[in-house]
Amino acid sequence: MKILELKNLHKIYDEKTIPVHAVNDVNLAFEQGEFTVIVGPSGSGKTTLLNIIGGLDKPTKGDVLIDNENLNSFNSKKLTLFRLRNIGFVFQAYNLIPVLTAKENIEFIMQLQGIPKSERNKRSLELLDEVELSEKAKVRPAKLSGGQQQRIAVARALASMPKFILADEPTANLDSKSAENLLQIMEKLNRDKNMTFIFSTHDARVVKKAKRVITLEDGKVVSDVISAS
Amino acid sequence: MLSAVAIGIFAGVFSTGFYLGMADMRFKTAIKTEFSHIRIQQKQFQAEPSIGLFVDGSQNILNQLKKIPEIEGASGRLTCEAMAETAHGNLGVKLTGVEPEDEKKVSDIHEKLIEGNYFTGKKGRIPQIIVGSGLAEDLKLKLKSKLKITLTDINGNVNARLYKVSGIYKSNNTTYDKLNVFVVRDEFLEQSALSDNVSHLIAVYLKQGADAELVATQLRKTYPELEVLTWRNISKELALMADQMNQLMYIFLVIIMLALCFGIINTMLMAVLERKRELGMLMAVGMSKFRVFRMIILESVYLSLTGGVAGIIIGFASIKYFEKHPLKVDMFSGFEMYGYPKEVATILPSESLVSMTIMVIFLGILSAIYPALKAIRYNPAETIRDE
Repeated sequence: MKILELKNLHKIYDEKTIPVHAVNDVNLAFEQGEFTVIVGPSGSGKTTLLNIIGGLDKPTKGDVLIDNENLNSFNSKKLTLFRLRNIGFVFQAYNLIPVLTAKENIEFIMQLQGIPKSERNKRSLELLDEVELSEKAKVRPAKLSGGQQQRIAVARALASMPKFILADEPTANLDSKSAENLLQIMEKLNRDKNMTFIFSTHDARVVKKAKRVITLEDGKVVSDVISAS
Repeated sequence: MLSAVAIGIFAGVFSTGFYLGMADMRFKTAIKTEFSHIRIQQKQFQAEPSIGLFVDGSQNILNQLKKIPEIEGASGRLTCEAMAETAHGNLGVKLTGVEPEDEKKVSDIHEKLIEGNYFTGKKGRIPQIIVGSGLAEDLKLKLKSKLKITLTDINGNVNARLYKVSGIYKSNNTTYDKLNVFVVRDEFLEQSALSDNVSHLIAVYLKQGADAELVATQLRKTYPELEVLTWRNISKELALMADQMNQLMYIFLVIIMLALCFGIINTMLMAVLERKRELGMLMAVGMSKFRVFRMIILESVYLSLTGGVAGIIIGFASIKYFEKHPLKVDMFSGFEMYGYPKEVATILPSESLVSMTIMVIFLGILSAIYPALKAIRYNPAETIRDE
């Protein structure tokens, strides 16, 4: 089932002075349950593309369709609400709230969605279990390793029950063991829950696990390979 | 942030209490020692006090005044300019003749004695006189010292008389202490050759100072031939001070609160800048701009309230302490000349605490608006990658 479609997507920075074509005529479609990696050298437009898919940036031209809803037609308020209900984010620098515990970091996104406390409590404990950090529920981010923080970030992204998760260089700050552990959890979530993951990365370990690899160069899709497995 | 708010509020509360205490003591001294609430006298007496400008039949007026329920006490005073002389020098003074028991109800000079007693009632060979500490110092007077008082009597004759110092008082006004000496009314009458049942002025002390104008209006109707003055008419400076006391307190508070306001803006701006990535993440994952705005405002209000309440409690506790143990302020010793006390008992009306708390909350909200607007202008796509 097609959940996301990018049509004739362009993003040009500094249009009036020295135009930079960060995304150049990208046409892509993503199915439910994909484990897709977007690769490419620095400046190839990976992050810009991810920001546009996530509704954090607007394309100069073209359409982003999620479940046949065009993000371009949304105003800022509607876009924020759409992100809250449909998209999970995992950032390179984890971006957990330092004053909240691991469990509270997962819960707060459900609080934004207006989910009742008992439900929030139940789901955050389940998610902690899924990312294998149940024992760290009451620990603050500063006391967690980078890998553990990123697993909490994944749990937070899942908490809102999104249509897909966008992960921008999620393993960039992790050692190989933590990265491997994180990827195994993500693979498991993809396999067991049919959760869609779209990564932007340089990391060969992530690419190795991907079912589909999209390569960008100068904002253009130069290859789109679906793994046989 | 918390301690900055607490210290700022404490400084505001305490300095307001200190200022009000100082003004209140000046006010009390002026009314109780110098002016009283109302004076009744001959119409030209205020402008040109003369021994011949007296109120005839003052005892009858006093008897009538004592029947008015708003009046605490009334005292007929005789007063004129005189010369005080000892072997060490001579100085011009204002001699006042009083009926001691009546005078105690309108003036607190008897409570300000630092040596000796207020008129003992024993009529000795040499009549008694009460002098101020300033005059005693200048003329080297001690208890039982002899003091020659010379005045021009009602008949125009220069009349000198010897008095014995029976008490030395010290008010909060050094100028007043140097100028005013008191004798028993009968002695004044004898020396000035005035007949009985006259007074130069009748001092009236009220149960409630706020009734002054009301009672004065009533008395003006009763004694149209006389001049009835309230303390406001007598001392413009004091009236101005009373009128401006609250306004000055609020101006003072506003200045402190403004400083506090800039402190909060600065701190909240720093907080917003430091938490740029966190705020960007919140907006990226779906927190609305309104919620981010509200969060910053609420943080500022909580911080201001916590710090503010701590500052108000500490400030109020200090004010209560220094109300009972007046604060010695030697640096203000020069102001004694103008009637300001050297020791200040701080005071603060409880309604000021309410207004201060409201102001702190209001400023907490106001000061956070700019940082909150700055926060919601962040672009989440840029800030989440910000190092």
